[in-house]
Amino acid sequence: MNLSVKIGSLTLKNPVTVASGTAGYGEELSAFYNLSEIGAVITKGLSLKPRPGNSGNRIIETPSGILNSIGLENVGIEKFLSQKLPFLEKQNATIIANAAGHSIEENVELCRILSAEKKIHAIELNVSCPNVKEGGIAFGSDIQLMRKLLTEVREVCTLPLIVKLSPNVSDITQFALCAEECGADAVSAINTLVGMKIDIKRKTPHFNNKVAGLSGPAVRPIAVRMVYQIFEKVSIPILGLGGISNVEDALEFILAGARAISIGTMNLVYPVRAAEIAEGLSDYMTENGIDDINDLVGYAHSSGISPQ
Amino acid sequence: MKIISTPEKLCKGHYLLHIECAEDCLPGQFVSFKLGRFTDPLIRRPFSIFNKNGNDIEVVFKENGRVTSMLKNMTDFSDVDVSGPYGRGFTVTENENVLLIGGGVGNAPLHYLSKVLKTKNNSITFIYAARSQEFIYCGDRFCTESNEICYVTDDGSFGDKGFAADKLKSVIAKTKFSRAYICGPTIMMKSCAEILIKENIPLEVSLENYFGCGIGICSGCSVDTVDGKKRACVEGPVFDGSKLLWQYL
Repeated sequence: MNLSVKIGSLTLKNPVTVASGTAGYGEELSAFYNLSEIGAVITKGLSLKPRPGNSGNRIIETPSGILNSIGLENVGIEKFLSQKLPFLEKQNATIIANAAGHSIEENVELCRILSAEKKIHAIELNVSCPNVKEGGIAFGSDIQLMRKLLTEVREVCTLPLIVKLSPNVSDITQFALCAEECGADAVSAINTLVGMKIDIKRKTPHFNNKVAGLSGPAVRPIAVRMVYQIFEKVSIPILGLGGISNVEDALEFILAGARAISIGTMNLVYPVRAAEIAEGLSDYMTENGIDDINDLVGYAHSSGISPQ
Repeated sequence: MKIISTPEKLCKGHYLLHIECAEDCLPGQFVSFKLGRFTDPLIRRPFSIFNKNGNDIEVVFKENGRVTSMLKNMTDFSDVDVSGPYGRGFTVTENENVLLIGGGVGNAPLHYLSKVLKTKNNSITFIYAARSQEFIYCGDRFCTESNEICYVTDDGSFGDKGFAADKLKSVIAKTKFSRAYICGPTIMMKSCAEILIKENIPLEVSLENYFGCGIGICSGCSVDTVDGKKRACVEGPVFDGSKLLWQYL
């Protein structure tokens, strides 16, 4: 039985990863399972300098989801490489570093530094960050801007490059196509949806930043739809995520076209869940006589009937 | 770990639960509950420890939202996932003259603290603040653990009339304390902290801010300190009150 999947030249031992920003740098999750049991650990979004993140309220529960406005708090690339990476390496984790620069130059520099690091297996580029040099528009919501960013990043990025797409666009498939044309090895879909919470007692937005990112099971049907649509437009692998909470949810994404999946919000609720889902996928394959997980990828496109 | 009793109403809006727990728990640490097997409600909720006796933990909670409203009416806890204890607790001193200041449901962790402090030969003065008499719970149990207890209510319906900070001023004018511990609403802790910092009395405060995961993954509960942002769930919930940047809380 084969559970391994390929993202460009990178082989994941199984399709289950933990999403950026919901796994820290792996330290806390390692208390719950051996990080080598899952396909990969995707780090917090990294920047060149440490980022303190946002002040004030940062997280709140919503129906079957959460809104967050952490503000990409991270230790910065230097401290990540010297203090966080050695731990992940010791755990034998497959490491995908998430780059979250706020300018083209910062992202290029991050990818150049990360590519020189032998212990890192791939880079996931967060294009939902605002481009602070050009009015603060997110790279991932302007196709020309994203093309410029990806073209420059691809030149220096020698590792498999995964572009994490923003769902806050009218047609995500155009952005997936753009990523493919710029030489990305894969896309991940989806990042959080822009949402908002108003504090009715104070009569003000709950978050200082006014808007926040919505994630969790509440967004899952949207994410499944987007993965399904992207699969029909591009041939590079898709890393699917958005509210996956169990094996059934993971299978939905795989059948919609995801080669790999990420557990995000549910890491906060059940920290062991990613390892359980990896094991659950294996059990599902045994029970259903499936030899290769890759046979299920995008299966919902070819037939309405379940395999075997 | 599991809940082993139905919620017992203690006073207006406050309930007590028993949890079976074999782990060692320090005063100021918390346990977390995930209600139900499904995704609504979704995230875990932290609850401070009111008392620990052998493998029996007592938790006092206040009805202040959807999860606590559900919890107070529950009779079957088989789908409640309880985990912990988590977080950094209070410093347990020995042979000192200490002051404990609690506000509302925030008195709960200070009860367990007073019990442990008493075994270490400390002399304990407890300021128990609440909105009014109907919000005071387990008064007798707080009395047992303290050398002196002072009640203060906003409306004067029980004990002195006023806020915790008012009582604090009069108490420290009479007696010298080597350390203070505070837990309660942010505004109450802030006003008490200002006084204690001015008087150079070391203080520890237990924050009650909103947690995302409770185990340090999400950074949703980070607070500003003189040493940068700190996650309240793992680097707290107990902090050195002189190191918090109160203006941002």
